Amino acid sequence: MPCDQALRLTSIGLASVSFIGLVLGASLPGWLMFLTASALMVTLLRTGPVNAITSVVRPVPLSATTWNILVLSGFLGFWIDSLWISGDLLASGIHFLLVLMVIKLFNLQHRRDYVHLYAISLVAILAAASRTSDLWYVPVFLAYLLAGVWTLLLFQLTKDTAVPSADLPRRLEPLESYSGVTPKLFWMANGLAAATFGLTLVMFFVIPRVNAGLYQKGYGENVRTSGFSDTVDLGSIGPIKRDRSVVMRVELPDRPTHEVGHFYVRGMAFDRYDGRSWANQLAHRRNLSEDSPEMFTLRGSKSHQLLSRGAALHQHIQLEPLDTPVLFAAPFAESVHGKFPAVQSDINGALYLPFPSSTRIEYTAVSRPNTISPDDSRPQPITYPESFLRHFLQMPVQSDRIAKLARDISESKQTVYEKAVAIQEHLSHNYQYSLDAPLAAQAHPLEEFLFVRKTGYCEHYATAMVMMLRSVGVPARLVTGFLATEWNEYGNYYVVRQQDAHAWVEVHLPQSGWVMMDPTPADGDSLAETLPAWHRVQSLLDSARLRWNRFFVQYSAADQLAVVRDIQTGGVSVRLWTLDSLASFLKPLTAAFEAGMSHLTGGYLTPVGTLVALLLAGCGAMAWLVWARPWKWPRRAAGAAGDEQVIVQLYRRTLRQLERRGLRKPAAMPPLQFIRIIQEEWSTASTAVACITELYCRARFGRVPLTTEELHHARETFKQLRSLSRS
Amino acid sequence: MIVRRFTSHRSTRLTSEGLQFLFFTMAVGIAAINTGNNLFYLLLSMMLSIILVSGIVAEYCLRGLEFHRHLPDVLFANELATATLVVKNRKTRFPSISLNLFDVCDGQDIDRGLIIRELSPGASTLLSYPLVAARRGQLRLDGVRVTTSFPFGLFLKKAYFPVQGEVVVCPEIRPLADEILQDLLAAGQEHTAHRKGYGSDLYNLRLYQAGDDSRAIHWVTTARTSKLTIRETEAESQRRASIYLSLQAPESHGTEFEEAVTYTASLVHHLAIRGYHLQLTTDSSRSSFGQGNAHRFDLLRMLAFCEQREPHADIRPETEWFTEPQDTENSGALIVVRPWHGAEVPRSAGPALLIDPETFLGATYAM
Repeated sequence: MPCDQALRLTSIGLASVSFIGLVLGASLPGWLMFLTASALMVTLLRTGPVNAITSVVRPVPLSATTWNILVLSGFLGFWIDSLWISGDLLASGIHFLLVLMVIKLFNLQHRRDYVHLYAISLVAILAAASRTSDLWYVPVFLAYLLAGVWTLLLFQLTKDTAVPSADLPRRLEPLESYSGVTPKLFWMANGLAAATFGLTLVMFFVIPRVNAGLYQKGYGENVRTSGFSDTVDLGSIGPIKRDRSVVMRVELPDRPTHEVGHFYVRGMAFDRYDGRSWANQLAHRRNLSEDSPEMFTLRGSKSHQLLSRGAALHQHIQLEPLDTPVLFAAPFAESVHGKFPAVQSDINGALYLPFPSSTRIEYTAVSRPNTISPDDSRPQPITYPESFLRHFLQMPVQSDRIAKLARDISESKQTVYEKAVAIQEHLSHNYQYSLDAPLAAQAHPLEEFLFVRKTGYCEHYATAMVMMLRSVGVPARLVTGFLATEWNEYGNYYVVRQQDAHAWVEVHLPQSGWVMMDPTPADGDSLAETLPAWHRVQSLLDSARLRWNRFFVQYSAADQLAVVRDIQTGGVSVRLWTLDSLASFLKPLTAAFEAGMSHLTGGYLTPVGTLVALLLAGCGAMAWLVWARPWKWPRRAAGAAGDEQVIVQLYRRTLRQLERRGLRKPAAMPPLQFIRIIQEEWSTASTAVACITELYCRARFGRVPLTTEELHHARETFKQLRSLSRS
Repeated sequence: MIVRRFTSHRSTRLTSEGLQFLFFTMAVGIAAINTGNNLFYLLLSMMLSIILVSGIVAEYCLRGLEFHRHLPDVLFANELATATLVVKNRKTRFPSISLNLFDVCDGQDIDRGLIIRELSPGASTLLSYPLVAARRGQLRLDGVRVTTSFPFGLFLKKAYFPVQGEVVVCPEIRPLADEILQDLLAAGQEHTAHRKGYGSDLYNLRLYQAGDDSRAIHWVTTARTSKLTIRETEAESQRRASIYLSLQAPESHGTEFEEAVTYTASLVHHLAIRGYHLQLTTDSSRSSFGQGNAHRFDLLRMLAFCEQREPHADIRPETEWFTEPQDTENSGALIVVRPWHGAEVPRSAGPALLIDPETFLGATYAM
């Protein structure tokens, strides 16, 4: 394929890749997508070799003025779009960019038009980067890099042929002109692209991150959640239980892979129920103390040491941008480490950011769940403060049926814990789980769930349990969050989706404090049991997405510092290991050296003297290496050999040929004198011998490199010499 | 020394495309810093990598090149000659691609239109190009400048390779009309007697005598007369000419002086190829009488370096023997070329022909 045609193809490829990036990243109007795609197709067909097609899509000749008017119209459209249609400067800018691309695609005539197209495609891929950070950007970026390298290379190679020289006839070296895409050019371009990619990775991690932004903004819309505001209607979680959007990914570095099971991620807790919705009346937030930079600790956590606490659980959480400021963690969080301006908490133990994050955030949380104290298994008098009871024994006005049911279940139980377990088991065993429970429309949804339908989902179970517990005098509250069940075995983390949204109960035990209980029975449709093959692929992709987010999208100055610290630590280790290895390797040598020197100096050589001598020897070796550069030796020899070896071999073969014909060259005779003998003895061959001898002398003694043509000529002359017969 | 090894003879210049690329790189960099978006940093890294790869590959293209220049022994001003340049890629792995070659003369790059598309590792190529010297004297080529914008055309990387070449540029040779030559020499011949001697033109035929050189036997006459006949040649002094070029001319007569030098060179050339024994004398130097191509080029080289002198300037002879008296009897005709009317004319015992500026500035050259 000719280079100019390849250039046109790669240029269209470059524009196409940036267009695809915009299509995937920004929500473009359908007409604009269609128009741009059509323009790309038409331009692609024009570059094709089929004349019939190219004649159909022949460019319409328009004057420069017309094209300029079109551009101005597009600019006018940009302002109209910006002010009245989309109302978003970035979105309308992207639309205008695509309009410019279409105009330029139809007007690709001169080389500067191609340069304009490259500039437009660069801005387009930049715009795509501003609109997304998803994994699909990786292949788009790689394709853009490959197309970019090819385009730049071909643009350079076609430069000399495209621009006629002013007054000098160009003397093109005819060895191997890149008039077409040869296999060599193909591999060279791809090799350059690979090298560029490798350097890109290095640079990406090395470039210092400076957060001096005046316009730091997220991309896309936040994920809409439900159940994490101060007031939550009963049944609001149900609709999002079919949404597979990823909300967060949670790694548990302390927990072995084989121990993974269900994992609760706590969001908010609610204390007041009015019969149809839950509210958090203890929503007053206070800032957590920042003990060390970016480390936020709950102030009350130390006082909880009196309680029976479980083992600390570290979680590394990557939270997608949500429409709620709630920070999620396993129950009950003690500290949060993350790059936040502040972290707040309410009395119910929920963690908050000052405002919802518009970008994906990463943080580490340490949680420590309460365990059941043995004291709670014994009946004991309970006294709660009035304010505590006002919040956690609050009940709406409702029929006595719920209270009667609770009493019936728990009357035989002595302790608070036993009562709670009895109610939990009753709900778990006697009710069915179903998302198709239109209880929200009922006047008394809880009674409808408990006594009529006996079918519902987590919210109904949890609400029922809280109300039943409160009716028998046990403080309880409803908690919303996520129940993660999807373990990604490729990345060793939990994938938490919208469909994992869950509600459960926290019961206050006199000695143990708040403990969590979940009355909702397990969903029969376990994902792991019916794991199809495509789901494995999804897991793999999600693992790649996590890595992409962690190492690229979320890469920060802190990560750079961490890498530097690791390198420093590793450097010390490597240095110590190298010194140890070197010492053990040199031990016999130094021992022999010391012995020899002590013999020479009569035992007066001190260890310092040995060290100085070794240092001097090392410096000498280094100086020799710098001066002699032995790594260049084989290359020098090879470089010098090259054509010289060829002509030397050819000359030797010529001498052998002459020897076969009775003309032996004495070893002491110079080559030029031997020519005179050949002239006298065998004049027919003298020209050929003289030619080869002259080239041999030039390369061998004159150190003048021979050209390919001269070597070729020498070979041909030798063939002629061989065909001659001496009479 | 190591630093010099890497920095000397190298320079880099931005192309117009490179300038635009750099502008976009800076824009992306500002956007990356401003937004903190890591995908912007990724694009910035890609663009910086392209710049870096561009520099590294261009450096490898220019590294390991070896040049050998072949110039003609003598050049004539304003006459087309062919120079050759052998370029070898001493690298063992990497080719050199898209090379533009320039001659460097007095610090100036002279574009000869030489381009090498690709030079494979270990390969060499021969480039020939026309060489025209505009003025006489010493033409000195200092080296070869190689530029490449490979691979991406963003930068123009230049490397200088010192490949010295020197060649003498003789004055321009113009054809002289035969009649002018005849006119110039006729007067001289009238005043000279013919006599035998060593030469090439026939003087007489006579019978062979003992002791004669057998190489002088005239075989045609011997065969016709059946008597051994000897061929006597005319003495060379009959074909001698001494040319005197006055170097004295005011500064305002620079053009006339150059024309006088050109005329003298043309005279030397045409007389020499007619077999004349020639001597060239200037105000500062004098050659010996001589004949043949070697002598002709000696005289032309002498003319290549002669310099204009102010009138009445103190002129020092360049050679000691210049001050010695010469044999005026055997010097043949004396042709005096003077670029300025006020220039002194040397005294001569023999015939002297004076050529003034009107002669060589007029239409005296054959067309």
